[in-house]
Amino acid sequence: MRFRGLKHWVLTCAGMLGLAALIGAGAAFAVPVPGGIGFQPAATDLAKEVDSFHDEILIIITGITIFVTALLVWVMIRYNKRANPVPKKFSHNTLVEILWTALPVLILVFIAYRSFPLLYEEDVMPNVEDSQIVDIKVYGRQWFWSYIYGPGDDALSYDSNIIPADLIDPSKGQIRQLSVDNPMVAPAGKYVRLTISSSDVIHSWAMPQFRLKVDAVPGRINQLWFKTDKPGVYYGQCSELCGARHAYMPIELRILPDDQYEIWKQKSTTSLKDGRAYLDQVQPLGPAAQVASAK
Amino acid sequence: MSTDTAHAADDHGHEHAHHDPKWYSPSRWLFSTNHKDIGTLYLIFALCAGTVGFIFSGIMRVELMHPGLQLFDGKAFGGFFGNEDNYNVITTMHGLIMIFFMVMPALIGGFGNWFVPLMIGAPDMAMPRMNNISFWLMPASFFLLILSMFMPAQATGTGTGFGGGWVMYPPLSSTVGHSGIAMDLVIFSLHIAGISSILGAINFIVTILNMRAPGMTLHKMPLFAWSVLVTAFLLVLALPVLAGALTMLLTDRNFGSKFFVPAGGGDPIMFQHLFWFFGHPEVYIMILPGFGIISHVISTFSKKPVFGYLGMAYAMVAIGFIGFIVWAHHMYTVGMNVNLKAYFVAATMIIAVPTGIKIFSWIATMWGGSIEFKVPMLWAIGFIFLFTVGGVTGVVLANAGVDHALHDTYYVVAHFHYVLSLGAVFTLFCGWYYWFEKMWGVKYNGFLGGLHFWLTFIGSNVIFFPQHFLGLQGMPRRYVDYTPAFEHWHTISTYGYMIVAAGMVIFFISLAEAAIRRRKAEANPWGEGATTLEWTLSSPPPFHQYNDLPRVR
Amino acid sequence: MADGAAKHDYHLVKPSPWPILASIGVLLLFLGGGAYMKGIFGIPKGTWWAPLPGVAWLAWVLTGWWSDVLKESRGGDHTEVVQISLRYGMALFIASEVMFFVAWFWEFFEMAIFHQLRANGHFDLANPDLEALKGWSNWPVTQITPDGAKQLHTFNPFGLPLVNTLILLLSGTTVTWAHHALQVNDRTSAKIGLLLTILLGMSFTFFQAMEYSEAKFTFDGSLYGSAFFMATGFHGAHVIIGTLFLIVCLARLLTGGMKPNKHLGFEFAAWYWHFVDVVWLFLFVFVYVAPTLVWPGGAEPG
Ligand code: HEA
Ligand code: HEA
Ligand code: CUA
Ligand SMILES: [Cu+2]
Repeated sequence: MRFRGLKHWVLTCAGMLGLAALIGAGAAFAVPVPGGIGFQPAATDLAKEVDSFHDEILIIITGITIFVTALLVWVMIRYNKRANPVPKKFSHNTLVEILWTALPVLILVFIAYRSFPLLYEEDVMPNVEDSQIVDIKVYGRQWFWSYIYGPGDDALSYDSNIIPADLIDPSKGQIRQLSVDNPMVAPAGKYVRLTISSSDVIHSWAMPQFRLKVDAVPGRINQLWFKTDKPGVYYGQCSELCGARHAYMPIELRILPDDQYEIWKQKSTTSLKDGRAYLDQVQPLGPAAQVASAK
Repeated sequence: MSTDTAHAADDHGHEHAHHDPKWYSPSRWLFSTNHKDIGTLYLIFALCAGTVGFIFSGIMRVELMHPGLQLFDGKAFGGFFGNEDNYNVITTMHGLIMIFFMVMPALIGGFGNWFVPLMIGAPDMAMPRMNNISFWLMPASFFLLILSMFMPAQATGTGTGFGGGWVMYPPLSSTVGHSGIAMDLVIFSLHIAGISSILGAINFIVTILNMRAPGMTLHKMPLFAWSVLVTAFLLVLALPVLAGALTMLLTDRNFGSKFFVPAGGGDPIMFQHLFWFFGHPEVYIMILPGFGIISHVISTFSKKPVFGYLGMAYAMVAIGFIGFIVWAHHMYTVGMNVNLKAYFVAATMIIAVPTGIKIFSWIATMWGGSIEFKVPMLWAIGFIFLFTVGGVTGVVLANAGVDHALHDTYYVVAHFHYVLSLGAVFTLFCGWYYWFEKMWGVKYNGFLGGLHFWLTFIGSNVIFFPQHFLGLQGMPRRYVDYTPAFEHWHTISTYGYMIVAAGMVIFFISLAEAAIRRRKAEANPWGEGATTLEWTLSSPPPFHQYNDLPRVR
Repeated sequence: MADGAAKHDYHLVKPSPWPILASIGVLLLFLGGGAYMKGIFGIPKGTWWAPLPGVAWLAWVLTGWWSDVLKESRGGDHTEVVQISLRYGMALFIASEVMFFVAWFWEFFEMAIFHQLRANGHFDLANPDLEALKGWSNWPVTQITPDGAKQLHTFNPFGLPLVNTLILLLSGTTVTWAHHALQVNDRTSAKIGLLLTILLGMSFTFFQAMEYSEAKFTFDGSLYGSAFFMATGFHGAHVIIGTLFLIVCLARLLTGGMKPNKHLGFEFAAWYWHFVDVVWLFLFVFVYVAPTLVWPGGAEPG
């Protein structure tokens, strides 16, 4: 039960308020777009739920802001010096005071009612069979990411560095500040469980299209999980200030179909280069590939 | 509130005028024990520091106008701006300066000192000499902060200044990230600023509790005094915890303790808890005095008493109290237990209720009034609107499920500038124009004041509203460089800065204009709406007011 | 009254050079501290005397400042209403001190309660930083030494710490005795009571120093050591300040100061002393005793 009916109603209102543009914007693209004003498109079911929840609060807060603004405009018009030369003297009205205490409480209770389930859904990975789970270890370092793949201890481990601006080749679909030399790779359709830590300062592994972010804290191991059915390219960026090159340690995540993922892993285990070549072969990024190659 | 003004206004000034110190006497300013002079010192200090913070924000906006490096490439202007890390230094200093050396000294030190005693009918602060050291510690503290920018960032290497953000998270702020003396100086600076604020806060509490004019019960006390009272309690209770956290950081850095060092069993996250236990009350420390100012201005220019006075006062008490139990909403992504997150979500959202009471009570104060749109009123109405925008995005961020996406993006930057740069700063200018004549004894030019307001109002919306979009799109904070897709809104944001900068120029012109023209101020330029005690005095008030205590009925 | 015409009892203090001088002193002190820790302005790191000019300067300023306060008090500036202000002020100062200790206790509790959590699940990573955490499944942890980690031995709370607890409790009663004596103008008893308090305070410091010297763990060996020494160390510093405060009071008593109905300095010293006392009780119960009772497996008293 997710308030389907109510949501429709509310969404209609949003349209009336001219907000539809704001909410739906950016839906066709998978990377940040010039002039974009909303979330990047959602790539997981969870992200979609975040979006619909965010839409709801956005409508609520826009409504509140408009309400406050309307009141302000009204008093400015109706009760300015010219319109109302003699001020009234009242300073109490128990009824409205109760109302403006109680109504916000109700609104907040509604928000909380929608917020908590989402929070738990995000934080607690569903109980699934081990075969459905892929574990990847992620290390933030000054200033690159290291990825370590199982099974066992590091069957495959490599570093992922930004491609410097002057080496970016747009014809290969590379994007300034986002593309890396060795992307992280994960399978589609499985529960990918990241264990995240750091060996120097705090970093943060963030993936906007999954609406997720978890800090890489030295001395702690944090967990993050996601599951997406859409193979494609996703970009994130380090999201905790970590020193001079904080802006230069992006995250490029390639989601491959399960079988291709296995092959990639095998090839990469023997030679990182081969793995990369295979990746480029199964998931080429043409010049137009600024868009996730959703197949 | 009605006042017995039988011996008010004029019979003060003349009696001791002959032995009041001259304005140019150095000892009057260096050795001051007069709350109005100390308030003036605070305001001048805040103006200077604010200008520095303002210039720093300009440097950031120029850098961020386009992708790539504009200023921080080690080459521009002969390498004057240094490299990427110096961008972080500028950001860090901007945050610290605006918070500790602009907003707090102006609203609490400046207006608090000037008007708390005047409003409650006290001849001065309870401890005038301690008041003076509260002020004089600030320049010392500011000196150390600025000095840190020129001191080595690392024990070895070439960089200078501390670039770890105003929140100073270890290990970036411990020897791992910044092994040089710069960070130690930042710690010292904040220690001193903290001592200054604690002493000042004690002084305010004592003054308010013990020196109200006869007849002025707490429940008759003007709301600005209430706001400073609550703020002062927050300061006394929150700042020592920051001092403790910073001391741990200092010993970690210099004496090998292991508080935040994982290898020794410590935990960097512990610093974040201690920091935000201070940090969240701190944000209310910055806004509550502003709330007080807005109440007076709204009531004055609507010519109506404040609506729901008691509710207004206790809403601030509630905000202050709840402010202490929500700190970890800044830490949703550090790997906290999910139940704990749920608690902080709930607690955080509750603050919207007392804040809403204030917003609606202000509007209800205007309702039925006879509103005059004088300059202070423009700032006040602008504030109500902008603070609402900033407040409701805070409620979005309070929901951990969404904050996972928005944390450390420009959405947060937009949120807190709406409540700070468009909230606290608007209240600051609101108070500035409201009390200008009272403080300086001359009138300002209303046209320039209005122009200043409109440029700032439009400009700061242009700066910060698009930052919501950037945040939703995923633009992270504290980035010196970004992917070209973000350029669109960043460029527009920088245009907004230019508009605000034009507003600042007008502001300085208006100061010069007022100083040159010297139009004589009236005791009460605002008429019947201005009912608090400071308006019963001359403008500027006599050096020692209320030799005969006013009586409040 | 500073201002002859004022018709109220508040104290309008005369302009004073001390605040700005104190501020300069604080700056000197911190710059000196920075010089000692890291080196600055050509003063090499480790210069032990670098903070001393600041200390000396501040000592001078504070002496001057407080003797001004004394003069004003004797001159009758501290009227009833002013005394109330000063009382509120001291109480609030102590409140801020309490919050300062909250930070240290918070750090300690976090470590004591969540150590297990932190130790869990950290073993599979090839990260030497995390290896050290293994020791956390025991509490209060291992001591990291040049030759590897070893079990940490805490103090036996029922030796010197218990003695110190009794000393402080006793000193709380002697200071109260002195206070009551002063109120009924029995100055001899007041002096004896105060002297006893000071001696007890000094012996506390002495035993604490002795205990420190016998510690089987170090400040920089583990979080336990850091938390222990900083919390008890700050307490110790407050004991010393409190003792100095009491000594000043004794000196004033001996030179004829302090009236039965007006002795704020004495009262404040007593408040401060009680505060220090209470902090110690918390330290004793939680930092010394609780580890040996609550957490099995760790904390064998050495
Ligand atoms: C003046 C300063 C100020 C103020 C007043 C606030 C007010 C609030 N803030 Fe903000 N905040 C900051 C300054 C401030 N904040 C700063 C500086 C940061 C970033 C620090 C950093 O990381 O550098 C920050 C960050 C921040 C975060 C962390 C974001 C992140 O890093 O991921 C969160 C999350 O919960 C948050 C929430 C709130 C909430 C819920 C309020 C509430 O108090 C707002 C309440 C007000 C309203 C809601 C509007 C009026 C109410 C009504 C009209 C009634 C009806 C409304 C409803 C029913 C919703 N703030
Ligand atoms: C009160 C606090 C305050 C104020 C007013 C401002 C004002 C501004 N800030 Fe600031 N900002 C912060 C607090 C503040 N900021 C903080 C805490 C951070 C986070 C730091 C960190 O990440 O660690 C930050 C970060 C921050 C960033 C993000 C940097 C990054 O993440 O990479 C940016 C980018 O655009 C920015 C821009 C601006 C701009 C353009 C203004 C403009 O609005 C400035 C316009 C100027 C004014 C409106 C007037 C200023 C006032 C006076 C001159 C005083 C007048 C005094 C008297 C009358 C007595 N700020
Ligand atoms: Cu790594 Cu920011
Ligand atoms: Cu907060």
